[in-house]
Amino acid sequence: MTEMVKIFPPSLVALDHVSVTFREGEIHAIVGENGAGKSTLMKILYGMQPADSGDILLKGKPARFTDPGEAIANGIGMVHQEILLIPEYTIWQNVVLGLEPVKFPNRLDVKKARQQVRAKIDEFHFNLDPDAKVEDISVAARQKVEILKLLFRNVSVLIMDEPTSVLTPQEIPQLFSELKRLRDNGHTILFISHHLDEVLELSDRITVLRKGKFIGTLDAAKATKANLAQMMVGREVIFESLRLPQQPGNLVFEITDLKYTDSDKRLKLSDINLKVHSGEIVGIAGVEGNGQLELVNAIMGLVEPQTGSIRCSDVDITRLPILEKRRKVAFVSQDRANMGACTPAKITENVIMTHHRLGKRFTRAAGTVLDYRQAVAFTGEVRQMFDVQMTNGEAPFKSLSGGNQQKIILGRELLLTAPFILLDQPTRGLDVGSIEYVHRQIIAMRSSMRGMLLISADLEELFRLSDRLLVMHRGRIVADLRTESTNINEIGYLMLEGKAYEA
Amino acid sequence: MKRKILINLIGILLAFLIGAIVMLIQGKDPILAYASLFEYSLGKKFVYTLNKSVPLVLTGLSATVAFASGPVNLGQPGQLLIGALFAVIGGLYLKLPPFLMIPALLLLAMIGGALWSGIAALCKHFFRMSEFITTLMLNMIADFLTLWAISYPLFEKDANHPQTPPIATAAWMPEWGNLSSSVLVMVIAFGIIWWVMNRTTAGYEWRISGQNSLFSRLGGVNVSKNYVLVMLLTGALAGLAGGLVLMAGPHRFIKDMGANYAWDGIMIAMVANSGVFLTLIFGLFFAVLQTGATGMQLTALVPRELIQVLQAVIVLIVVAGRGYFETLFARREARRKMKGLAK
Repeated sequence: MTEMVKIFPPSLVALDHVSVTFREGEIHAIVGENGAGKSTLMKILYGMQPADSGDILLKGKPARFTDPGEAIANGIGMVHQEILLIPEYTIWQNVVLGLEPVKFPNRLDVKKARQQVRAKIDEFHFNLDPDAKVEDISVAARQKVEILKLLFRNVSVLIMDEPTSVLTPQEIPQLFSELKRLRDNGHTILFISHHLDEVLELSDRITVLRKGKFIGTLDAAKATKANLAQMMVGREVIFESLRLPQQPGNLVFEITDLKYTDSDKRLKLSDINLKVHSGEIVGIAGVEGNGQLELVNAIMGLVEPQTGSIRCSDVDITRLPILEKRRKVAFVSQDRANMGACTPAKITENVIMTHHRLGKRFTRAAGTVLDYRQAVAFTGEVRQMFDVQMTNGEAPFKSLSGGNQQKIILGRELLLTAPFILLDQPTRGLDVGSIEYVHRQIIAMRSSMRGMLLISADLEELFRLSDRLLVMHRGRIVADLRTESTNINEIGYLMLEGKAYEA
Repeated sequence: MKRKILINLIGILLAFLIGAIVMLIQGKDPILAYASLFEYSLGKKFVYTLNKSVPLVLTGLSATVAFASGPVNLGQPGQLLIGALFAVIGGLYLKLPPFLMIPALLLLAMIGGALWSGIAALCKHFFRMSEFITTLMLNMIADFLTLWAISYPLFEKDANHPQTPPIATAAWMPEWGNLSSSVLVMVIAFGIIWWVMNRTTAGYEWRISGQNSLFSRLGGVNVSKNYVLVMLLTGALAGLAGGLVLMAGPHRFIKDMGANYAWDGIMIAMVANSGVFLTLIFGLFFAVLQTGATGMQLTALVPRELIQVLQAVIVLIVVAGRGYFETLFARREARRKMKGLAK
């Protein structure tokens, strides 16, 4: 692929003249942070999205697929992050769907179809029962069915979009050994990931993208985590603390024995105990999907935990209406578009949310009539205090850049007088400058003695900001360490294994 | 804002063009037809246009407030009928002087409409049934319930058609010349709705919830309470339309009365894209078309049914065009960026 450009209207440049070469029979990893353009590049190759310019050469011949069917016909297949199978069908039914062998008069040849699928399963040593229903098998097995589907269509290039994100740690090695076997059979595997360990373990060569630009391709044998990380983020990764020594104050937030089981009866949170004091930042590390989302939802009142309590400055807030919780809890969500803001609405309308109920300033006539002049004035204050680049408050929220959107949200939440602030990946998807800014604001809140719980997937962020680090693993808190007395290797090991390293 | 007006105007012009083609195929003169349409509805019959706009604007506002706030209330036809039924019952059995009678009946009509939408709200609250389905089903029940009511308990003796006796004259909407005072009620209702949506805390929460319910919930908004309020308010608006149709028009409940106003109202809300002010404008415009249809038929011999075609085409083009033009503008932006990169 040479000189690929992809622009998402109106103005997001997803790929900026990216050129990559993939060799036959290799496992080639494509790494980069969120929004680096990994998925977009692969979707273009697979014909799911058109490129705005650039060429694709397949075995020397120009190729440009307008839909995935064409790509598959040319031997390129993709396994998506989400698994797209029909749960009520058996494995062989899912695999042959669209390519069913038929016998006269135009009827499905069940015997032949099963045989063909069986043969493919044996050929690749997939440990699968063709008659099992997809809804009854594990996620890892479903993923195998997805791969099998493509192999059944004689695909020689497999694109895998973050295949490990849906797997448990135990299932990952098996997937890897299967992928390696496929490679040894001559298949080419393109593998998207942002987990450096996986990438180093599995791949032959590694391509790094950053913000839509090609940074480089290197041999996995010569790559190290440190230089890959540096290529990904574009700077030397240093875990330098931003905190000044400070004595934490009173207990402001406490969770005791929290347990939550979701509607499918899966245990999502158990034995959650944690304490946050004023002037203290408590970080929660963990691989995404280990209960962080459920913890946030339980604190905010979107889901109701079965047992346990959440207390904030000596009030039990576990089952209070959300508005009452918000007197105690400020909340910065990782999901700006759905939880953090109403993107089509005006900036002003986004700024006054929650304030319009908690602050007397914004309403008249016993809270029934909004005072727009005060709302506009408040928007101006937030703009000035948080250095937001914007034209005026009447513009829609979505017209702001990501960094400025987050500044507005931070402004809104930090100006609430709540003693406790829940920060859920507050810098997700932001550029380096905005991250710096957000970090400084968080530290300023620490100096003004607010208590904060910081959930993050970014270890660098956690080490820079947190006084204490908790590690979540499969819905439990498996470690509670002072930041000074631990290091990234220990936390990393705890995140993956759920227990301390035993030498 | 300018872009919005432009898109609406283009849609209307294209619809008229398509209407003209249809007329040409049938051998009619489109210029004469359109001229007589506007001459009739904006000229000598302008007052009738205003009268006609009352149920269109009110049911349109009902749908607009609902769509903008989240609930998909499609029950305006049923709520209108029940509103009219409540008004006719009041008009038949209450004995009050006009200055009390009229407000009392309007209130009854609103209560009737709110009751009907309230049933859908209760179904949602207790059984999690989508109002999208329940309001549609309740339309049919309202249809037959009112038909039964005017065929049996409220049937006018010796009438050869299902209808009620006339309501007390004290409940007739006064007229100034030919202009019905129901227009005044509509203008007041519009003013109140505009103010509620744009100036009150409740309206702010409704609008934000309509666009992002999760965000408002997290912000401390009581989403389920607001849902019920919006359902009741929009039901009351449609009920008010029903009461006014009855009290300004036939002064009795006649079979098939006002059947299409509410569906037109829903169309109006769709073209107006949940904008309160645009709902008023499109309500008036649809009234112009429907009143002018008679003039068109008289002068240019074009069947009045063509107006329904025209309305539908306007809805299709404006609604489809909105998405189309937005992608068009976005693409133009992308191309500009592309050139910037090439340099």
